Amino acid sequence: MDLEFLGNLILASVRMATPLIFLSLAELYSQRAGLVHIGLEGLASIGSLVGFLVCLISGSPVAGVVAGAAAGVAVNMIYAYATISLCAEQIVYGMAINIFAPALAAFIYRVYFGAGSELVQGALMQAVHIPVLSDIPFIGDLIFGQTPMVYLAYALVIFTAIYFSKTKSGLNFKAVGEYPQAAATLGINVIGVKYLASVICGALAGIGGAYLTTCYASTYTDGNVAGRGFIALAAVIFGRWSAGGVLLACLFFGFCDALQIRLQVSSSDIPYQFFQMIPYVATVVVLGIIGMKKAGPKASGKPYRREER
Amino acid sequence: MEEILRMEHITKRFGDVFANRDINLDIRKGEVHTLLGENGAGKSTLMNVLIGLYQPTEGDIYLNGQKVRIDSPAKAVQLGIGMVHQHFMLVEAMTVFENIILGDTRTPGIFIQRDKMRAEIVALAEKYGLEVQLDKPITEISVGEQQRVEILKALYRGAELLILDEPTAALTDIEVEGLFAIMEKLTSENKSVIFISHKMREVLRISDRITILRAGQTILTLNKEDTSGPELAALMIGRELTPSQYDKKTEPGRQVISLEQVDYNKQAKHSGLNGVNLTVGAGEIVGVAGVDGNGQSQLAQLIAGVIGPDSGVVDLKDSKVAKFIPQLFIEEGVSHIPEDRNKMGLVGDMSVRENLVLKSTDTDRFSLRKGLFLKKKAMREYADEMQEKYDIRCASVEQEARSLSGGNQQKIILARELEADPDLLIAVHPTRGLDIGATRFIHDMMIEARDGGCGVLLISADFDEILEMSDRIVVMFEGQIMGEFPGKNPPIDEISLAMAGK
Amino acid sequence: MKNVKWINVLIPVASVLLSLVIGCIIMIILGSNPFIALQYLWIGAFGNLTNLGTTLTRATPLIFTGLCACFAYRCGVFNLGGEGQFIMGSILACVVATQTGLTGLPAVLLSLVAGTIAGGLWAMVPGLLKIYRGQNEMIISIMLNYVATLFMGVLYTNWLRDGSVPQTASVPLESRLTKLFGLRVTTAFLLALLAGAAIYYFLFHTSKGFQLRAVGLNMTAAEFNGFAVRRYLLISFVVSGMIAGLGGSAELLGTQYYLINGYANGYGFDGVAMALIGQLHPIATIVVAIFFAALRVGSTTMQVVTGVPTSVSDIIQALVIVFTVAGLAMVKLPEFKAAVAKLTAKKEAA
Repeated sequence: MDLEFLGNLILASVRMATPLIFLSLAELYSQRAGLVHIGLEGLASIGSLVGFLVCLISGSPVAGVVAGAAAGVAVNMIYAYATISLCAEQIVYGMAINIFAPALAAFIYRVYFGAGSELVQGALMQAVHIPVLSDIPFIGDLIFGQTPMVYLAYALVIFTAIYFSKTKSGLNFKAVGEYPQAAATLGINVIGVKYLASVICGALAGIGGAYLTTCYASTYTDGNVAGRGFIALAAVIFGRWSAGGVLLACLFFGFCDALQIRLQVSSSDIPYQFFQMIPYVATVVVLGIIGMKKAGPKASGKPYRREER
Repeated sequence: MEEILRMEHITKRFGDVFANRDINLDIRKGEVHTLLGENGAGKSTLMNVLIGLYQPTEGDIYLNGQKVRIDSPAKAVQLGIGMVHQHFMLVEAMTVFENIILGDTRTPGIFIQRDKMRAEIVALAEKYGLEVQLDKPITEISVGEQQRVEILKALYRGAELLILDEPTAALTDIEVEGLFAIMEKLTSENKSVIFISHKMREVLRISDRITILRAGQTILTLNKEDTSGPELAALMIGRELTPSQYDKKTEPGRQVISLEQVDYNKQAKHSGLNGVNLTVGAGEIVGVAGVDGNGQSQLAQLIAGVIGPDSGVVDLKDSKVAKFIPQLFIEEGVSHIPEDRNKMGLVGDMSVRENLVLKSTDTDRFSLRKGLFLKKKAMREYADEMQEKYDIRCASVEQEARSLSGGNQQKIILARELEADPDLLIAVHPTRGLDIGATRFIHDMMIEARDGGCGVLLISADFDEILEMSDRIVVMFEGQIMGEFPGKNPPIDEISLAMAGK
Repeated sequence: MKNVKWINVLIPVASVLLSLVIGCIIMIILGSNPFIALQYLWIGAFGNLTNLGTTLTRATPLIFTGLCACFAYRCGVFNLGGEGQFIMGSILACVVATQTGLTGLPAVLLSLVAGTIAGGLWAMVPGLLKIYRGQNEMIISIMLNYVATLFMGVLYTNWLRDGSVPQTASVPLESRLTKLFGLRVTTAFLLALLAGAAIYYFLFHTSKGFQLRAVGLNMTAAEFNGFAVRRYLLISFVVSGMIAGLGGSAELLGTQYYLINGYANGYGFDGVAMALIGQLHPIATIVVAIFFAALRVGSTTMQVVTGVPTSVSDIIQALVIVFTVAGLAMVKLPEFKAAVAKLTAKKEAA
């Protein structure tokens, strides 16, 4: 195995991990406020489509990402209203979003380009080489020669870690996911925090989707999120609901993904799907066999009602 | 002494039910004031009014002589009222420090100013002798320490008046002494404490004054010096005693169940059993008296086969029980009216008819070939019959059980359990929350079952009910049987003391 | 309080109507006449026997995954793994039908049995983890869906790959399910109906089914009343997995014949949606599945004739789900119940 192969593999891992980081952070914020969200797949798909379209029309990938975030927020407000205000079952509604949002994305694409259109290509975000740092041999270009979105992802991880551990607001946020009744007795606006979490979740999931069409590939295809929404769910469990843990999980899963693609090309003896399975199998093993219990926000998945009697 | 709080003519009504009726209460600065009363006497409703969870239907609240309106828990906190709930409001995944500063609005800035806040908390803790380990997660500290954290939480928010809701319920004796020392320290600093309890010994030990609530009304406020345990017990339980209207049996038949030295989760005083010996004979009602949460739930569930003992022997109709599975007990003729009718007794989303036949769909009466085809018509006829016999008031037996009133729900359970023609009936709080008519009906049916030869174990926190119904009375306290008394001419004072653990 | 049951039918029906109205508005915006479009949607789905056959064929796998979800939820377990169980069923059926050398009826029967068992075993994993390790069955079963899908990928790209295209060998002609009346629809559809009828009978006319529903509605009360709760939970997982597995093998033998990329994609969540819209009633679930299949099949004709894209139909389907689930949650809110009670009280007073 030569150095170049390894370098390319790491580069690809980082690229693969980036959308996962956005999606996992989206899931993390949602779950920290007590909302288990299995609909990220859907949010990302609408973010991906809107990001692509806006990028195509405006020619600006940055505008695409912003629009993707807005689309994610808009669709996630449906989820938020249903699960927070109507107390709908979170898993069921997440599933509904997973059916609704991709259908909406596919519809907009068809309407805009007409049925049976050819592949349309948009602009791609350019990598920004950070001077000096990117000149460090070998790792320099890997770490400091990426698109701004990659930097944003890592900045968000750091921000999130600080937010939840060092700020008062972050502490209150966590309390809502752990014990909303206790939070309420201390004057914390439980419903408000849950909606805030949904806005953040929608935006991050939308960005994660938009990354796929503005930085990763230059076009939109149905199903391009390809299960990343569910891997993000796994990454949050795997990363034990902390920003740092989530980052490591994403890098590991990204590495599996990158390895899988290389194996697919080099046609090795082991079918590449087994490497793709790793995130899912790992989650089942971690949950089931190691028996990780009571990790994660305690009130996750439970509706919160204000009135008592 | 100066007055800090006065509640005048507080009335709180839920629909047609008065939870509080014209209650007057005044709390002085620097005193421990006990609210004494049975379950349902209106203590928690009154406190919920005080901390802004409920709005009173009528009445006024004065704080330091000023009339106030407390419309939210946040407002109560702002006015200096803090409450330590019986079930702690602590976030288990967080540390003690984080729990105390949660929701903090006093220090400016976005970031947690760890050093500054810590210094403040440490100073408070030292002042009041509240020993806590600030950096431990809640899950790793004892219940006693958790309570200190709750008190510290309230003080950190500037509480002048502290409500402690049954604070000793989950503590060991040593921890109780520690808590009392803290309470004394608080009052010496001119803070006031409202102490809710029904443990006579503790009440007499720590209170300055005692207000007795009964049936939603204030009965009396007494100085500790002017009263005694028996007097308080009598006032709390209340009423002149009317002799029971039912005949009392003194000669039980052969025993249907016996427990010998049964232990279950022994260390937990309030949810365990400790060396319990108990028998119930055919044709007698054994009443288990005691304050709620002294192991009664576990006793009932053990005799119904829902939980198994850690050690000891249980004989059911002369044969030793090897496996604790509800189904086996049911087959042996044990019927159970569980303590929580909605959670344990009924399937609320099913109809009255389906709930009536819940246990018997495998029988030939309601199905062909042991359950392969249900006879809906037979069920329907049976349900109509039961509706009549047990006076279940519903529009139709196809109505969801959930939509019925509590009394009618309980009658469904009663019908199902008694129609099984049991040898042993376990009835836990069978009339809790029911009106007089339904209560009377259920009592009559239980007496009828007894006279038919069924052994009845009646567990109730309603002392009246125990006196009214029991042929024999045992008292439970902290998982132990404290004594056995005759049901005919029962020695009330002795029983009251046994209930308080003496 | 009788109106509660009414609402359970009313909500899905109202959701369908509302979604159709929104669909029509979209069509108008796109410059099409919604009535003509809907007419061709209908013709495409039910207009002649061929189209009807196609609709029923498309409905068949949805019925199976719908029944799978329906059965599990009736016992209170949230099996979201219908897709994985369906795929595992298909895989075993494919192995039996193409690798053992068996043909004809023995191959068909053995494939169906093997597929059913495979589905059941696959569902046992989340079941056991829920019962013995207290794990959340939903997340585990979702993860297992992906494992199953990827494992299927191993087969068609590698282990059982047949020729240059990544797909498995086809089920031999003589081992395929019989077509009915010369249409596309096969005996798989009849199997689906049979499964639905059997589940209906079991749930509502047998004692065990009654007890299973009681477990699903109130686990604690079921335990206090002497039902073996854990056993019911495990059985409901396994049986629901078996239904999906049977569906998978029937789909393979009746319609798809080989495994290929995208096989069964989305069937699991679709099934959950069918079951929820059908209020967990097996017969209603079948009706809903046929309705959804009709929207899918008919939309092709609609697109060809009127130019309204098929994705409008996808939007309508998705909206039905979004509205129904929200609506059903809404009617459970205490505020809503109080409002209804107030209204009825007013009516009585008037």
